[in-house]
This record gives sequence, C-alpha cells and structure tokens, in this order.
Amino acid sequence: MRLSKWIVRAIVLGLMLALGVVGVHAQEKSVINLYSSGDTNITDWFQNVVIPAFEAEYPQYTVQFTNSRAAGDEPIIDRAIAALTSGDDPMVEVMDIDPRGFASSIEAGLWYEPTVEDIPNLADVIDAATRLTPLAAAYRGSQVLIAYNSEMIAEEDIPATFAELLEWIKANPGQFVYCRPDKGGSGGNFVRRAVYEVSGKDPSVWTPEFDQSLADKYFPEAMALLQDIHSSIYDNGAYPAGNNPVLELFASGEVSMISAWSDQAIQGINRGFLPETTKILQFSDLPMPGGYTHLAIPKNAANLKGAQDFVNWMLSPAGQSLVVEVIGGFPAISWDMLSPELQERFNSVITDNVPTWPGGDYNPLLTKAWYETVATNIDPNS
Amino acid sequence: MTASQTEPAPHSKSRFSTVLPYLLVAPPILMVFGLIFFPALQSTLRTLTDAETGAFSLARYEMFFADKTSVTSLIFTIQIALESLLGLFVICFPLALYLRFNTSRIATGVQMISLLPMFVPGIMSAYALIRFVRGRGLFETLIYQVSPLLADAYYSPYVKPEGIVIGLIWEAIPFTVLILLAGLRQLDNGLIESAQDIGANRWYIFTRIILPLMRRSILIAFCLNFISMFGAYTIPYLLGPAAPQTMGVLMQRTLQDYQQPLEAETQAVITFLICSLVGLVYVQSVSGERVRKG
Repeated sequence: MRLSKWIVRAIVLGLMLALGVVGVHAQEKSVINLYSSGDTNITDWFQNVVIPAFEAEYPQYTVQFTNSRAAGDEPIIDRAIAALTSGDDPMVEVMDIDPRGFASSIEAGLWYEPTVEDIPNLADVIDAATRLTPLAAAYRGSQVLIAYNSEMIAEEDIPATFAELLEWIKANPGQFVYCRPDKGGSGGNFVRRAVYEVSGKDPSVWTPEFDQSLADKYFPEAMALLQDIHSSIYDNGAYPAGNNPVLELFASGEVSMISAWSDQAIQGINRGFLPETTKILQFSDLPMPGGYTHLAIPKNAANLKGAQDFVNWMLSPAGQSLVVEVIGGFPAISWDMLSPELQERFNSVITDNVPTWPGGDYNPLLTKAWYETVATNIDPNS
Repeated sequence: MTASQTEPAPHSKSRFSTVLPYLLVAPPILMVFGLIFFPALQSTLRTLTDAETGAFSLARYEMFFADKTSVTSLIFTIQIALESLLGLFVICFPLALYLRFNTSRIATGVQMISLLPMFVPGIMSAYALIRFVRGRGLFETLIYQVSPLLADAYYSPYVKPEGIVIGLIWEAIPFTVLILLAGLRQLDNGLIESAQDIGANRWYIFTRIILPLMRRSILIAFCLNFISMFGAYTIPYLLGPAAPQTMGVLMQRTLQDYQQPLEAETQAVITFLICSLVGLVYVQSVSGERVRKG
C-alpha cells in the first residue's frame, strides 16, 4: 500500500518533470526558417554542415530548412510581401538570395538592411563583397573559371586569355561548352566575360546604375563574338540547361573544356565526379566574373534576432571556414582571417580579383540578346 | 395503409436525392471555376484591354505576333506536339492491338512494362533520358559494343527538338496504351470473327472495323495528349534546345528572366486558348457519344 503510493508519486513527479523539461525546451528553442534554392551542393551543405554546426553553437535556435529549388524563391517572397501588408508571420527568417533579383520585393520595402550594430561580424566583410547591395549580407563568393581535361589537351595549347580561348574553340570544334546564361552562372558569366572583352576589359565600366547606352553599345559586339564560336560549341551549338548538365558532359568525356563555377569544379574533383586529370585555369588578362551570394532577411521576420544571429555566425571565421573547406567557395571575409592551412590548401584559387557583374536591368537584356542572336545564330543586323 | 399516406415520404426523399448530386458536385465545380476558369477569364480580358484606358485593344496580341521569337516558339510547340502524337500512335497502336489480341504471359509482362513510365516522376525520366541518349551515354556505349562504326554515326537527340519528342512520347505511352486498350476491349470479337469468316484480311479488318469503332478512343487520346504535350515544361526545358523553345519554357523565361509579366500572360492566354480549342473537341466527342447513346 505504502509502496504503491510512492510509486504513484514517483510517476507523477516524473511526468511533471518531463512535461516541465519539454515545456521549457519548447520555449527556449526558437525557430529560424531558412530557404535556399541553390544547387544541390549548396542545399546539402546547408542541411548537413552549416545548420548542425550553428545549432551546436547556438542551442537556443532550431533552423528549419526548406529547399525552394523546385518552386523557386518567388512564391516565398510574394508570401512575405503579403504578410508585410497584412501583419502576419511571413514564415521566413533568412533567404539565400540576392534581393536585387526581385524587383517587387524592393518596391515593397521587404528587406531588413543589415547593420554592424546587429551583426558585428559584418565589419570583417571585404569591400568587394559589401559594395553590391545594402539589402542583404554577402556571405560567400565564387568565380567562374575554365576547367579542362589535361589528358585530352596538350599543355602548350591551353589558352591563357579569353581571346586565345575563342581561337582554341574554333580550332577544336565540339570540344567546348557553356550553359544557357540564364540557367546557370557558369554560362552567364562566360557571356558577361565576352561583354568585358569588348568593353576594354574594364569591369569598372559596368556599375550598378543601369545605362541603356552601354548595353546598346557593347552587347551586340559581345554577341558577335559568341556567334562566331556558336557552330564550334558542343554538338554544333547545343547549350545545356544548367551548370550540372555541363559538368556531366565534361565528366563523360564528351567535351574537354568547359566554363564552370570554381566551387562546383573543386568539389567535383575532390569527390571524384570529375576526372582526376581535370585542371582549372583563370584567364591571365582579366578573370571571368564571379559573384557573392547573399543572405537576406525580411524586415517582418518573426524571429529577427535569430536571423541576425545566424547571419552573424555565418560571417564568423568558423562559418567562413565551412564555405572554403566544404563547398570550395570564396570567403566573404579576408582570407587572412582563416587558418593558415586553409589558405595554403586553396592557394590556387585565392584571388583578390573577382570582377562582379552588376546584374539588375542588364541581365534580362543580355539574356534576351543571347537567346535571340547567339542561340538562334541570327545576325542582329540582318 | 393507403396510397395517400405513403405519398409524402418518397416525395421528400426524391427531393433530397435530386439535390444531393448537385451538392456533391458543387465543391469540385466551384473549385474549377474559382481556380481555373475565373483567373483564365480575367487574364484573357486583361490581354484584350489597354492597361491605361481600359478600352478594348489587340495591342498585346499584335506584339506577340510581331515578335519573331514568340511566333517561332508557337509554331515550334505545335510541331513538337503533332510530331510527338504521330510517334505516339505509331508506337501505341500496335502495342495496344498486341495486348488486346494476345493473352500469353509475355503480353502481361509487356503491358506492365508499357505502364512503367506512369510511375516515374517527370524530372527523373528527363534526367534518365539525358544519361541514356546523350553523346557517350548508355545508348551510344551499347551501340559501340556492337560496332564502333555505328557509334561514330550516332546522332544524339539531347538538346535538340528530337530530344523533346522522345521524352514526350515516353511519358505519354502508358496513358495512351490504357485508353486505346480500353477502346479495343469494347470491340465485339464476333465482328472480327465474322469478318474473318467471309475472308477479310487483317489490314481490311483493321481499317474497316477496328479503326472506325476506335474513333472515340483515338480522339480522347489525341486531345488529352495534345493538351499535356503543348503545355509540357520539364521535358522541353531539360531535353530541348536553347532555341527555339516551346511555349512552356518561353513563358517561364519571359516571366522570370526578362521580368515581363504582361508578355508572359499573353503567351499563356494564347497557349490556353489553343488547348481549350482542343479540349472543346474532346468534350464534344465525349458528350456527343452520350447523347447518341441516349
């Protein structure tokens, strides 16, 4: 009798404790909703590397990750804009996007502008990364470069400049491919490099302020360069629909030279997806453009503090090391802040020269020009 | 118990049973109207009015038909859909006939295989096809095993119009086989046997008996496949060329890359109108049959 009473008491106490712990636990953990529509290497990296590391350091947060690659980021942003007017929870704290690609969101004033007060590590971000937009925090960079199979190409034939590459492509028809400029940055930045080529190899000409006359002046010339190599591109001018299809053609040996993102190429070599004989090169005259990827926070995010803490951690040397180590990206902070071993290991890609294409209104025009003149190979002047 | 006493009960019951079907079909009908017809009508009206004055205007259609890319895309999409349909019937008709008149174990296996694409998500079959048909893909490697010379002559349909046609056919086979087979199963064996008895050959039976009786199944397969092929996105996007592109891919590009929602809307309405014309043919053939059957 007495014993059973104690047992009941113990059980009740145990239950209360359990409930209490769960209750406190649930109160303590606040959710950060993170969205990314990046390629698989990026979304895998977020899910399997970044989030566990962040949650280990900040146990008070739970990061809820959503891969928005299939549906795109537009619906999420539209929902956040709608929530901004209605005062509802937008259900999103951090997005792996550049707000400049979403005009309606800028018009609606959706984005929180990161400041050093809220996000102290922002102070360490290098100029090249911060000058792009005040609406989001740049957190990793990558650059497009040329990957080639050293088994199939003689050392002395390897082009060193963009002009030499064009010559090489024409001399080796079917051996080079880049993807459609709007379907993958490895193709997009190849096309933009052609624009740099005809505008005096001076990226400073292209500032974020849109200037129609520059587009009118240089785009047709750049398109003419690309038209010239059109029939020498893989399979008489077949442009795959993305970065990965290009890498696959290269991996199968169907082509021997491609334009590729630095991070995807390095990761591909490390994982054995690309042949061991794969080598990467950057033009000696002017590198191909790259870009910085941003984390954007809607100003109506329910967990604004959590979003700020997440971005702040991402910009810490710990977070930035994961960028370099795991996905072969460039850090947004100075290389000096990372460990010497890392700097040593990635010696071949460390560069301070990452021309950044301004994007914005130039992009639709350039994409359109490419589709209508290069892909169809129709002379714009005819 | 007189007749007048029992009358009210069946009366109220029949009133309920007349209302019930309408109640049951109301939600789906409301949904179709709310989610499809109403927005489509709105869009169509918007494309026909001037945004500023609100007056009737064909300007957006004039723009569409003056633009070389969009007209090329429209023609290209119609071509692709018709070519795919032709290929589809060439493959599916013999297959359905075989499955209808053959009862062996092998036929059961063939039927299962022919239904397989139905269970493979579109994006997976697109990537599988890419790996299969592209240069140095599985298909070319197999050919190479047979004869390296043949492999040299291999023409890869990847990133070409042929790629889209192959992909669309592959995706549509199960549905088409099912529809044609259902039609064939309704055929009376007696008709064919009596024709055979009076000496009709196979070709004669096929063209004079089977084809006419299959008219409705063929029409259904044609219409529904045309609509889905015309609006297809994944296959044309991943397997097709950068230019020309089908309407689905063009719409996406216009909306997202060029950020021109109005132009994309015009393209969508034109696509919708063409598909609803074909849909009308389908509805007429189905309801016409019902009326005839009385």
